[in-house]
Parts: sequence; C-alpha cells; structure tokens
Amino acid sequence: MGPEEERGGTAAGPGEPAEGTAPVGGSPSPDGRERLVRGLWPPRVNRNQLTVALLLFVLGLGLAIQVRSTSENSPLRGARQEDLVRILDELDSRTQRLEEEKRTLENQKSELENSSDQAEEARRQTEERARQLGVLAGTVAAEGPGIRMVVDDAAGTVEAHMLLDAIQELRAAGAEAIEVNGVRVVTSTHFTDGGGGIRVDGREVVSPYRFEVIGKPQDLEPALNIPGGVVQSLEKEQATVSITRSEKIVVDALRSAKRPDYAQSSSQ
Amino acid sequence: MIAVLGLIVGVVAGLLVRPVVPTVVEPYLPIAVVAALDAVFGGLRAMLDGIFDDKVFVVSFLSNVVVAALIVFLGDKLGVGAQLSTGVVVVLGIRIFSNAAAIRRHVFRA
Repeated sequence: MGPEEERGGTAAGPGEPAEGTAPVGGSPSPDGRERLVRGLWPPRVNRNQLTVALLLFVLGLGLAIQVRSTSENSPLRGARQEDLVRILDELDSRTQRLEEEKRTLENQKSELENSSDQAEEARRQTEERARQLGVLAGTVAAEGPGIRMVVDDAAGTVEAHMLLDAIQELRAAGAEAIEVNGVRVVTSTHFTDGGGGIRVDGREVVSPYRFEVIGKPQDLEPALNIPGGVVQSLEKEQATVSITRSEKIVVDALRSAKRPDYAQSSSQ
Repeated sequence: MIAVLGLIVGVVAGLLVRPVVPTVVEPYLPIAVVAALDAVFGGLRAMLDGIFDDKVFVVSFLSNVVVAALIVFLGDKLGVGAQLSTGVVVVLGIRIFSNAAAIRRHVFRA
C-alpha cells in the first residue's frame, strides 16, 4: 500500500493530464478506492484541488442558503407566481366552502333551538291543561279560596234531592271543585236516598253533611242564602246550616278517571 | 481534502452569514443546486475512474447550473415552469443515481 501511494503521489505530482494515462502505462493500476484515499490524504494544494474546492464552496453555499430559506420561511417563499395564485385560489374557495358550512350549521342550530323551545312550551301548556282538566275531573287535588258548608240534619229529614239542589246551586255560582264528606263531586256524581242517610256515588254519607267548595266565596255564599234558596229550604226541614268562608279550602278527595266505553272524541 | 474542506466551509458560511438572495434568483437556486450536485457526483465518479480533469469539471459544473436555471426560466416564461423544473429534477436525479452507483462500485467493489 505504502509504495503504491508513493508512486501515485509522484505520478499525480508532475502533470495533471498524466493522471488519466498513468495507470494505463503499465504500473499496477490504482483502483477507485485508492484514488479516493489518495485524494483525501495527505492534503495537497494543487490546481485541481483548489478549483474543485472553489466550486464545492459555491455548491455548499447555495445548498445552505436553500435549505435555510426552505426550513426557516414559509413554503410560500420562493414559490412561483402561478403557484401562489393557485394557492390563493384554493384558499379562497376553501374559505367560501367553510363559510357556507358555517352558515348552514348556524341555521340548523337556531332551528333546533327554536323547535326545542316550541316543544318545551307545548309540553308546558299541555301539562297546565292536564292539571286544569284534572281539577274538573277530580283526578287531582285542588286548593283555593271557597266556602265550607255544614248541614246538620238531626231530624233525618234531608233527602238526596236537597243536597243535589245545593250542588246545582253551587255549580251555578261558579264552584270549581266540590267534596261532600270525603267524596269528590264530579260530572257523573249522583245522589240517592238509602238506609239511614244518603248515598253519594254509592257511598253512604251521614249527617252532618260537610261541603268543601272551591270557588269565589263572594258568589257562593249569597247563592246559597237567597230567599227561597237552598239554605231556607233546608232549614224548613229542621236542618241547621252553617256556612264559613275560607281563603284556603282543600279538596283532596280523588277519583280515578274512567275511560268512556261508548263516547269517543268527535274532534278529529 | 481541500475540496471537501471547501464544501464544508461553504455550508458553514451559508448558515452563518445568512446572505440575502435576490428575489430574481430565488426560484432558480434549488434547481441550480441540484444541477451542481449532479456535476459534483459526475466529477467524483470521474476521479474514481481516473479520468478526472479539472477543466471538464469546471465547465460541466457551470454549464449544468446555467442550463438548469435557463430551462426553469424558459419554463416560467412559457407558463410550464413547475412541470419543467420537475422534469429537470427528475433527469438530474436519475444521473445522480447512476453516478452514485458507479461510485459505489468503486468504493465498495460491489
């Protein structure tokens, strides 16, 4: 290896043009690897090396600048004009698409909000209505201002139709919920005479008869007390009637809503 | 050895000095760099083959750079700059690969 290198060095030394021809000229031809090693070490300063060094310096400079500008700046730097225009166009259409999508989604959102508001409102109204109807049908307890009437029938002369008259009168005066001795009075309630007392919806009630009535007290009381009215006719039968107004009457006797067998809603 | 030092010094200088490239030259710099790389690989191969000539190397280096930049410039003017520069890069890439294969055969004898 040593002598070869020596020979190669001297061969390269005298003249550059000889470099190509020297190996051909008989001496054991140094192969590529040896040439590479010889070129690298020892460092020699000759025209070849200097020229190549200069050009490689330029190459390294360009390489570094390019790598630097590519990695440092945005990829848009150094892009050609047509590319920039294309990128801009793409961005524009993308923005448009996204704006459109945003609008659509916002519409959807407000629609959903509206509809859920409406559904909530409808549900609230339905519940309210169910409560009101429940009070009328006797399926829910009710409380409010009203009167309390106690009919004490010591002689046992009060008959069912008299209580029915009292109920009618109360209804005519705007009573909204009525309870007689723990029995809720609704549209289908009936009064019958029977045994020692009176049957209300088949349940026997005995004197004293307590009416719990919710309605406007100022209307209900005069309605019972009119001359020739309920109170007078009851007192004619030796019953004592006492009426008290109250700001809070509780009607909490309930009855189950019966599903009608024959009658069907004719609306819709 | 001096040549390798030149390359290293060039890279370091480029990184440290941060020279500002004029905008006119900017689009051609990457292509020029690739062309120069091709010339360098060609030169390395020639050296390993024992037929290296500095005059040839200088001429091929400079003409590579100039022709590559010229093609890109022309392409820009014709409105096919992107395609043409892609073509140039592909061609130079193929050449670099074949030169690298020859160098590999010399160095690794495989």
